[in-house]
Amino acid sequence: MKNKRSLFAVPYVGWMTLFVVAPIIMVVIYAFSSVEGGVTLENFASMGTYASVFTRSFWLAILATLICLLIGYPAAYFISREGPRFQRVAMMLIMLPMWMNFLLRTYSWMSILENNGLLNRFFSAIGLFTLLNRLFGMELEYFPLINTPGAVVLGMVYNYLPFMILPIYSVIEKMDGSLLEAARDLGAGSARVFRKVILPLSLPGVLSGVTMVFVPSVSTFAISRLLGGGTQMMLGDLIEQQFLGGAYNPHLGAAISLVMMVIVVVCMVVMNHFGEGEEQAVML
Amino acid sequence: MKKTNRGGSRFLIGLMFLFLYLPILLLIIFSFNAGDSSAVWRGFSLHWYSQLFQNRLIMESLYITLLVSLLATVISTAAGTFAAIGLYSLSRRKRDALLVVNNIPMMNADIVTGVSLCLFFVAFFQGWGSFARWMNGIQSVVELPTRLTLGFGTLLLAHIAFNIPYVILNVAPRLRQMDKNLVDAAQDLGCTWMQAFWRVILPEIKPGIVSGALIAFTMSVDDFVISYFTAGSSTSTLAMTIYGMTKRRITPEINAVSTLLFLTVLLLLVIVNVREARQERRSASMEPRKLTWMEKLSVRTSTPKWRWVKRGAGAAMACCFVAAVIFLTGATSSRPVVNVCSLGEYIDTDLITQFEEQTGIRVNYQTVESNESLYSLLKSGGADYDVVVTSDYMIAKFIEEDMLEPLDYKNIPNFELIDERFKNLHYDPEDQYTVPYTWGTLGIIYNTSMVDEEITSWSALYDDKYAGNVLLINNSRDALGEALLYLGYSVNTTDEAEIRQAFELIADANRRGVFQGKVSDEVFQKMEGGNAAIATYYAGDYLTMAENNEDLAFVVPDEGSNWFVDAMCVLKDAPHKTEAEMWINFIASTDANLANMDYIWYASPNREALEKYPAYYEELYGEELDQETYEIMAAPPEVLERCEVYENLPGEIQKLYSQLWVELGTG
Repeated sequence: MKNKRSLFAVPYVGWMTLFVVAPIIMVVIYAFSSVEGGVTLENFASMGTYASVFTRSFWLAILATLICLLIGYPAAYFISREGPRFQRVAMMLIMLPMWMNFLLRTYSWMSILENNGLLNRFFSAIGLFTLLNRLFGMELEYFPLINTPGAVVLGMVYNYLPFMILPIYSVIEKMDGSLLEAARDLGAGSARVFRKVILPLSLPGVLSGVTMVFVPSVSTFAISRLLGGGTQMMLGDLIEQQFLGGAYNPHLGAAISLVMMVIVVVCMVVMNHFGEGEEQAVML
Repeated sequence: MKKTNRGGSRFLIGLMFLFLYLPILLLIIFSFNAGDSSAVWRGFSLHWYSQLFQNRLIMESLYITLLVSLLATVISTAAGTFAAIGLYSLSRRKRDALLVVNNIPMMNADIVTGVSLCLFFVAFFQGWGSFARWMNGIQSVVELPTRLTLGFGTLLLAHIAFNIPYVILNVAPRLRQMDKNLVDAAQDLGCTWMQAFWRVILPEIKPGIVSGALIAFTMSVDDFVISYFTAGSSTSTLAMTIYGMTKRRITPEINAVSTLLFLTVLLLLVIVNVREARQERRSASMEPRKLTWMEKLSVRTSTPKWRWVKRGAGAAMACCFVAAVIFLTGATSSRPVVNVCSLGEYIDTDLITQFEEQTGIRVNYQTVESNESLYSLLKSGGADYDVVVTSDYMIAKFIEEDMLEPLDYKNIPNFELIDERFKNLHYDPEDQYTVPYTWGTLGIIYNTSMVDEEITSWSALYDDKYAGNVLLINNSRDALGEALLYLGYSVNTTDEAEIRQAFELIADANRRGVFQGKVSDEVFQKMEGGNAAIATYYAGDYLTMAENNEDLAFVVPDEGSNWFVDAMCVLKDAPHKTEAEMWINFIASTDANLANMDYIWYASPNREALEKYPAYYEELYGEELDQETYEIMAAPPEVLERCEVYENLPGEIQKLYSQLWVELGTG
C-alpha cells in the first residue's frame, strides 16, 4: 500500500531526469568540447577575455542588490507595523506590477531616461539647464541618463525590488510579537529591540531576498540591452550572443552558463550555511 | 509611541509605491495617446485599442501566452501534486535528494535553464532525425517525420518543467502537516485507495494545490527568458513579441493590451480583497494565524459560493484545451503555410494579406535582427523557416555550408523581371539558390539640427566632438567595415593586422565614450526622436526616418561604403518548398516590388519597378518624386562606383570578427 503511493514518484523522477538533469549534462558536454569535437578546456581559457564582463555583472548586480535591500528592508518593516488592511493592500500593490510584463516596465523607463525623454524634457521645462549653464558656464542640453551603468542598476532595482520585499515581509510578519514585548519589558529601547531581536530574526528573509535579487540581476540580458544600449554588456548578454545573437559559439555560451551555475550553487551553499533550518522561508 | 512616526514611514512607503507605479502609469497614459510616440503627448484617443484587435501579431502572441500558461498550469499542477504525494511516501533521504534536484530550476538563473533546455531539445531533435531516417529506411508502415524544430511543443514542455517545482513546493508543506494516519484510517474503514485520495488527501492539500497553480500561472505569464530560448522562431509569446518590438519601436497597441491585462488583474484582486474584508467583518476576528493573500484566495475559493465560479473556470479551461487541440491540429495539417524570415522592418504588410487572399496560404512572417543573428538562430536549431531574406555575404556562407535548397526557377517566372545587374552575382554565381529582394547602400545618417557641418567622412563616427551622440551599428560586419573604409582598406581584407587596426579605432572611440550605444532597428526611434546626432544605417531606412524627422540627412561617405543585395532563398529541407516558391514569385512581381519600394524605401532589383517608381509615386501622392530621394534610394552609378560589396570571409577571419565583436562589448 505504501509502495503504491511511492509509485507516484516514478514518473516525476523520470521527468526530472529528462528535463532537469539531462539539459544540465548537455551544458556540461558543450562546455567541455569545441566545434571540432573532443574534450577541451579552451572555452574556459578564453573566458579571460571577458573578465571585464564578469566584473561589471557582479558589480552592478551587487549594487542593485544592496539598493534593493536598503529600500526593501525598511519598506517591509514599515508595512509590517501597519494595520492588517493596510498590509493587505500594500502586499497586493507590490505583487501587482509583476503582472505587467517586465520588458514593458523596462521599456517605459527608456522613454523616461532618453536624452530627449520625459525626465530631460521636465528638467529643461523647469529651466534647470538654463540655470546650470548660466551658473557654471556649461553647455548642458540634457543629462546623459540612458545607456549608463546607473540606468541598468535602476532597471534591476525597479524590476526585482518586490523579490526583496516579499520574503523579508513574510518573515517579519510571522515574527512572534511576544518576543518583542519581552524585549521591551526587559528594558530594551526600540533601537535595541530592532538590532537584537528583529534584525537577527529577519535574517533568513533577508538572505532569501538577496538571492532572489542577485541571481536574476547578475544574469539579466534584456535590462542591460534596453537601458544599457548594448554598451553595458553583462553575463546574460554574453550568453545570449553566443546562442541567438551575433557571435555564434554555443560551446563558449555553455561554458559561461556553467560558471553561472556554479556561482548560484555557491550562493546557495553560503545562504544555507547562514539560514540553517529555514528551508521554506523562501518563496513568498 | 507607535503612532508618532507613522506619518514618516507612510511617506516613505508612498515614495516607494510612486517609484513602482510611475512607469506603469506612464504606460497606461500613453496607451491613450493619439500619436505613436511614448514621450510626446498628442491628445486623447482610443485609436490604439481599436487597432489592437486587428493586430494579428499581438493577438496571436496573446493567445499563445494564455494558452501555454493555462496548459502548463493544468498539467504541472496535476503532475506536481502527484509527484509531491509520491515524494512524501519515500524515505527521508531519497526525498531530500530529490528535493535538491527539484530546486535546481527554481534557483538557477533563467537564462541557464533556457539555454540548457534549448541545447537538450536540439540534441534530441538531431538524435530523433537519424533515428527516424533509419526507421523510415527499414520499414514503410509508418512514415516518421525526420525534421523536428523548436515550437509550441517545446515551449509547453519548458513551461511545465519550470512550473512543477513551484507546485511541489506549495503542496509539500500541506502534505507534511497532514496526519499520515488519516489515509490508513480511511482505508481501514473500507475506502479504496482512490477513494481515500479523493476524499481525504485532496481536501487536505487543496489550498496548497490552488496556490501552487496560481504561482505557476503567474510565472508562466511573466516568463520571457526561458520562452525566448525554447519557443523557436514561429511561436511567440507576448513577452517575446514585446522584446522583438523594443528593438524596433513599440507600437502603443502593446501599451493598450498591457493596460487591459493590468486592469483585469487589478479588478480581480480588488474583488477578492473586498469580499474578504466583508467576510472578515462578518465573522469578526478569531483567526488562528495570518495567511498570505494567496492562501486567503484559496481559502475563499473553497467556500460553496465560489463553487460556481470554479466550475465556470473549469469549463473555460476545458474549452481552451479543446480549442487548443483543434487549433494545433488545424494549424499544422489543414491550411498550407509558409514561414518567412526577414531582416528587421522590411516588408509592406499589405503584401502578406494580398498573398494570403490570392493563394489561401498562411504566411508566418518573422523578423530577425541581423544577418549574424539569423545564422545563430538557424544553427541553434531554433528556426523552422522556409524562406529567408538575407544579405549577399551571408548567402555565400549559407551556400558554402550547404544550408540552402536549390530553387526551381520554372516556378518563379518573375525572376525574368530582375535586372541583369542583379543576376549571377558573386554570392550565387550561377543563380541556383536566390532571387534578389532589394539592394541599397550603407551610409551616415545625421541630424542637421545637432551637427553644424556637412558630414562627408566616416571620421565623424569616431570624433570626440560628437561624444555620446553617435550610434554604432550593431553588427560586426558593418561596424568593422566602416572602420576599414575610413582607414583606406578593403571591407573584404583578410589581413589580420588591418582588421585589428580597424577594431582598435572603434574600441578606442568606445573607451572615449563617443558611442551612445549599439543599435540595430532601435535606430529608428533614436534618430527620429532626436536622441542621437549621428548613426549609420541603410539608405532605405534613412528615407523612412526622414519622413518622421525632416532634420535628418544621409550621405555615402567619400571613402566609399558598402552596397548590398538582399535576396530570398529557401532553406535546405524546407517543409513547404512549393509554397515558398509561390511566395518568392509573388514578391518578385513588379506590382509587389512597387508597393514594397513605396513602403520600405529600399530599391527594387526588378527592372520595370525601378523604372516605373517615380511615375507610381506621382500617381499615388499627386506630387513629383524628389530626384534626390530617388537617388538615395537607388544609388546612381557614380556612387556605386566607390562602394564595395561584402564577400564571404574565410572561416578564421569570421571567427576573428565575432571574437573582436564580443570583445568590444566587454570593453
